[in-house]
Amino acid sequence: MIKKVFLGGTAFAAALLLASCSTSGADSAAESPDAEAGAGAEICYITAAESHAYATPANEAFQAAADEAGAKVTMLSQDFDVQTGTEQLTTCIGRSPDGIVLWPLDPQAYIPGLIQAQTAGIPVVLINSPMDDEALELVESFTGPDVYEEGVLSADAMDEALGGEGGVVIIAGQAGNGTSIGRTDGFTEQLEKIGSDIEVLQTVNADFDQQKALVASRDLITRFGDDIDGVYANDDTMARGFIDAWAEAGKDPAEIPPIVGINGQQDAFESIRDGQFYATIVQSPVEDGKLALETIVQAAAGETVENRIPIPLTVVTAENVEDVEPAF
Amino acid sequence: MSAVSPLRGGWSLALLGLVRYRVIVILIATLVIAATFVPGFFEARTLSLGIDRVATMGLIAIGLTVVLIAGQLDLSGGAILALSGIAAVGLQESMGQVPAAIAGLGIGLLAGCCNGVLVVLLRINSLVATLASMLLFRAVCHLITDSRPISGIDPFFGIPLTQPVLGTLSTRVFIFVVLILLLHVWLTRMVSGRNLFAVGSNATSAAASGIRSRWYLFGAFAFSGLMAGLAGVTFGIASNTGSPVFGDTIVLTAIAAVVIGGTRLEGGVGSALGTLGGLLTLAALTTAMEYQSIPAYVQDIVTGAILLLLILLDRLTHAKRGTDVSPTALLRRLSPKRDAARQHETERTPA
Repeated sequence: MIKKVFLGGTAFAAALLLASCSTSGADSAAESPDAEAGAGAEICYITAAESHAYATPANEAFQAAADEAGAKVTMLSQDFDVQTGTEQLTTCIGRSPDGIVLWPLDPQAYIPGLIQAQTAGIPVVLINSPMDDEALELVESFTGPDVYEEGVLSADAMDEALGGEGGVVIIAGQAGNGTSIGRTDGFTEQLEKIGSDIEVLQTVNADFDQQKALVASRDLITRFGDDIDGVYANDDTMARGFIDAWAEAGKDPAEIPPIVGINGQQDAFESIRDGQFYATIVQSPVEDGKLALETIVQAAAGETVENRIPIPLTVVTAENVEDVEPAF
Repeated sequence: MSAVSPLRGGWSLALLGLVRYRVIVILIATLVIAATFVPGFFEARTLSLGIDRVATMGLIAIGLTVVLIAGQLDLSGGAILALSGIAAVGLQESMGQVPAAIAGLGIGLLAGCCNGVLVVLLRINSLVATLASMLLFRAVCHLITDSRPISGIDPFFGIPLTQPVLGTLSTRVFIFVVLILLLHVWLTRMVSGRNLFAVGSNATSAAASGIRSRWYLFGAFAFSGLMAGLAGVTFGIASNTGSPVFGDTIVLTAIAAVVIGGTRLEGGVGSALGTLGGLLTLAALTTAMEYQSIPAYVQDIVTGAILLLLILLDRLTHAKRGTDVSPTALLRRLSPKRDAARQHETERTPA
């Protein structure tokens, strides 16, 4: 057995040697264009996911803005897994880029990584999702929507839709995700603040996934049936899941309770025209991606940037649906 | 060991040898490919960061190696990781950091023992039993945290775990490497370790020959739980967070690493170094693809393809398992000159 290990070790060492020979050439080749480009900042971008209705256009806008600014982007996808994300952050810091853009999926877990980034002198910009206040002291800026405000706006819209009373179900995003927490807390706390008699029947987590929202909505419809006077979904994709479940249950589409969603997707706009949706909130992923890239490029160049740069939010209802552009 | 057919051609033996050490072959191939795509791949820092990426999964894979050799399966690792992470972080305020970490380990061990009871005492199929306990532990995580991540008292406490020690590997990698080497020694050098293989091949006949099979099975699950607990505690401390969603996808990837390393789901076959090789392969793949900004799902395609290829190769060798393909035998068979020289030497020694 020792011999086997020894043989393995020898083969391994040989491979190392071989590979290191082959890379030494590539190394110098890779370094020279960098030196020539000079201005091209290297940005490590840890995104939430690669194939997602909101994240994909945000990533594309990020990349497009980077091409324009002449920055080189290495994109790492967490696939909505916090553990992967924190490890990717460590990897990014170890590679000493000029700047890191992080899409946090947890309000806390990245903090030790952010401390390391600060120690290493690498500027970090948070994109899209909020983190806890102590994290904001460790980063240059947080660009992205105010998700708590989105919850507040949704609560106002729901209150208006139901005339101040009734039972609503909340289809929330991923458990523990900053965006889910912000949008849900903003909603429930605003209802309390304005003294609304709207009662939350149940909150379910559907991970920003249409299919999971469909499954969860089936249960909600079975359990509460006509007691559901309104539906608040943390994003339009999940709201779509509720509409599907409603149709599946053989209920009259005209009788569907008012739905309030967030993101301002194209199909949500159509649903508002059809009367299935009450309201959505436009939050542009293109703005989101672009703003983050522009901010990190400034920060990497040593400029001071605002600690909080929100992207504009617009509440869309049947009244203004023809005047507003959908986010994506 | 010496049942080599003299008629077997050198080529087919070389092929068999290649298949026998397929983990090393795949690992080297991955490393070479990685090195051609990633400038400076073999710089100490890149390697150290690459290995750091599999340290948490590696701890779970250590436990799984033992469970798989015993012929069982454990799906609950990810849920145990989350549970003990929550304990290690959530109890910090009331108990202090070190006692909380120990409590986290204890919870991992306890959860593993639950699995052991389900499988050994209640004789539930391990896949079903650990699937059930996985759902149960995960639900408990959501219940006690109200579905929200909790944070520890000091974010600086866990930083040494992810920082390189003396410019080489991070502390959590050291923990993982030491443990996997210890497992290797146990599996290959100790009687109890060898007994585990017998239990995995056929628990009943192992019991008939005086091995306490059921205790071995119970121990395998308890150990796996402890390792998942350790993974949860180190990861919880490193991120200063306990979250009910941590480790959601980790177990299947860990099983892939263990199987790439040559451990068979049927039990009775496997090695710790193979698991290490499987993990390093995945680490090299991840590093290479991330440097190229290749989407994560492409990486899954590659992992899946490697897994299938290795399973097919495994079938090939398993059909010819009578052949001696130990390194010494291979060297002797494939290099006639050295063979002659060695014979010459042995002839001279007595004189």
